[in-house]
Amino acid sequence: MGAIVEVKDFSFKYRDARRRAVKHVNFSVEEGSLFAIIGANGAGKSTLCNALVGLIPHYFSGARAGKILVDGSDVADSTIAELSKTIGLVFQNPFNQLSYTAGTVAEELAYGLGNHGVPRDKMVERVETVAKLMRIDHILDKNPLELSGGQVQRVAFGSTFIMEPRILVLDECTTQLDPMGSEEIFDIVKKLNASGVTVIMVDHDMERVARYADTVMVLERGEVASIGTPMEVFSDDSIEQHGVDVPDYVSLSRALGGPIVITEEPAIEMAKEALR
Amino acid sequence: MAVKITYANTPVSRLHPMTKIMAILMLGLCALVWPDFTLGLVLVIALFVVSFVARIPSDFVKIMFGFGIPVTVMLMFIQGLYSPKNQTVIADFGFAQLGLEGVLYAAKIVMDLLVFLGSFTIMSKTTYTGALVAALTSAGLNAKAGYLILASLNVVPQMQRRMSVIREAQNARGLSESGGLFSRLAAYVPLLGPVVMSSLTDAQERGMTLETRGFGITDVKQTSYVEVRWRTVDKVCNWVLVIMAVIVTAISVGIYIGVIPALTPWAGA
Amino acid sequence: MTVELRDLEHIYPSGDIALAGVTLTLEGTDPVAIIGQNGAGKTTLVKHFNGILRPTSGSVLIDGVDVTSHTTAEWSRTVGYIFQNPDDQLFLESVRKEFGFGPKHIGMDSDVIEQRIGTVAELVGLSHKLDTHPFDLTPTEKKFCAIGAVLMMDPSVVIFDEPTCGQDRKGTARLSHIISSLRESGKLCVIISHDMKFVTMNCPRIVVLCHGTVLLDGPADEVFAQPDILRRSFITPPPITRVGQGAGLKETVFSVPAFINAIATERNARG
Repeated sequence: MGAIVEVKDFSFKYRDARRRAVKHVNFSVEEGSLFAIIGANGAGKSTLCNALVGLIPHYFSGARAGKILVDGSDVADSTIAELSKTIGLVFQNPFNQLSYTAGTVAEELAYGLGNHGVPRDKMVERVETVAKLMRIDHILDKNPLELSGGQVQRVAFGSTFIMEPRILVLDECTTQLDPMGSEEIFDIVKKLNASGVTVIMVDHDMERVARYADTVMVLERGEVASIGTPMEVFSDDSIEQHGVDVPDYVSLSRALGGPIVITEEPAIEMAKEALR
Repeated sequence: MAVKITYANTPVSRLHPMTKIMAILMLGLCALVWPDFTLGLVLVIALFVVSFVARIPSDFVKIMFGFGIPVTVMLMFIQGLYSPKNQTVIADFGFAQLGLEGVLYAAKIVMDLLVFLGSFTIMSKTTYTGALVAALTSAGLNAKAGYLILASLNVVPQMQRRMSVIREAQNARGLSESGGLFSRLAAYVPLLGPVVMSSLTDAQERGMTLETRGFGITDVKQTSYVEVRWRTVDKVCNWVLVIMAVIVTAISVGIYIGVIPALTPWAGA
Repeated sequence: MTVELRDLEHIYPSGDIALAGVTLTLEGTDPVAIIGQNGAGKTTLVKHFNGILRPTSGSVLIDGVDVTSHTTAEWSRTVGYIFQNPDDQLFLESVRKEFGFGPKHIGMDSDVIEQRIGTVAELVGLSHKLDTHPFDLTPTEKKFCAIGAVLMMDPSVVIFDEPTCGQDRKGTARLSHIISSLRESGKLCVIISHDMKFVTMNCPRIVVLCHGTVLLDGPADEVFAQPDILRRSFITPPPITRVGQGAGLKETVFSVPAFINAIATERNARG
């Protein structure tokens, strides 16, 4: 399979900003893969997310160079609404993702489908499926304004992937959820990914990144500091100098003197070995 | 699975929103063109009956009288005492005289207003806004205009929620709201900054999230999750309303040009 | 400082029961974490500590004084509450003014205020941003500005609602530093968090809420030694702890050095 997203020497400086948010960023995302972007705050992660869905340049103005191709065409030549047929973004702040025009959670979920002109019977069917999957089927009749943070986050996520985008961009989309709630969401992400959806995720939880990602890109001050498989990136000694954590399993395997492991199961095996 | 019915399920709430809009326009038209207040009065009485059917009589009565009484008093005073049309004196207060023509004219205006207000109240109290906008959109209303209607209706509850969170956060920083009226008002000033600021940034962020959810796509016809059904009863209602409006207009025109004698000459036509 | 909750119940006007009888005493200086699933009642619980919410029944006593006897504003000098969203809490035109606002309000001496601004700014990492408008701060800095503004009042109890939300490695490290220095100066920190790594690194005592009641309460190692009960409140132990449990380590560990020590101890014990 080929690259579905190609970022070519992309730089961007927000209007009124002193320095460029991202500079000379190059990477491509294989169709059907799970691509993670990590880095300290202010490294340019959200800027890239905004650029992928066309908010840059269509919404945020500023100085821009290079190109972003989504499914072969330049995002600058399309509109945000048009791009929403291919690529969906779940924002960091779920409260601002709601349309605030819906009287019920069901309508909120269906909002994007309505914009795409999906017939009502299909809409109802999709809402039901997504609500069950997200475990929000018990609040479908509730007013979105009355939800808790965790519920809003589930609704925000559901309202994006209900549109069946081929590419799903997740900008720290589980910050309001309890640990098992986050895991549940990522199980769904993994399933969507297995069914062919390309996923690009930004996250601060390195264990999660190591567990799910096919490719990890580290950003530092707007530049790509490292890119590779989770194993390549996290086994690099110098990675923490770029302002990111490594999974605890890495430090544990180093301390145990064994080969580097980045996920739970091999770490358990290694620890069992050490206990023997 | 159905959309939550926020409104009592009655024959009125089940009507298509466009039927109700049609009713406001046609009933209003009838009252307006009719030469005196009598038809308006009949329609207002009919609306009271409808409000019972719609199970909103107390809300309806409150609005009708809350508006009707002060407006009637005011218009009676102005028109009854000072209208240039006044010829027949029905009461003499010494400082001014109450004229019959002015009183009848005031009655006509009040009834016209009450017909509009009453039918609008019944519509707004029995129609889910989402359904109204869905109906308007499918009737050709621009999607952006539809968004504006819904979003602006949501602004107030959103601001209120925001305000209460910010108030809690500020109280926790030692901002006191107790004391006299002035100090309580003064305590609100620091709340305004964050409320306005956050509303602005929220609005900006929301604008962009809407587009990522396909808002503003031009080449497809938007659909809605909210179902609005056009049933036989709607068809009948619309025809009845239109026919009634045509007949009322025809008779009224007849009366104006003198082809038909005034039906209620005592009412000041 | 003691926060004492007796049969605390809170029912929202909607009829939702948020707290169904919580009896709990928080005291000393060891930071306490309040954890639990979404909707377990964590925020509702701590909003009673300074009277933002009033109990439906039961009582909250701060050093023996019923919390309902004063307003939230009056409690602000004793109980500091840092909201999750700093935008809600900031409203002045510079960090310095934000810091000075609370103390001035409670009549703190202006020399003391000046001196405190220096130390607090240092602690939260905003020494070089004192004259910046809070609106021009990054989201991370805003959060630290809100923390600073609350700490300026020198409260004895400090409540953090989801402090690590949106923080990176550096921000999380600074938060840990703030919490440990508050502990050293005799303050009681209460932390609501979904971040189990952060919680276990900073809080010796853990209270787990579930459906408005206390599910578990005790030292971190005892609480996290019961993953099956924790699951009931949608909590999973942090990664290192899970590895230890998976490998059959008897001790509940929260860090790599502790893990290595525990392995050595167990091997020695076996001889």
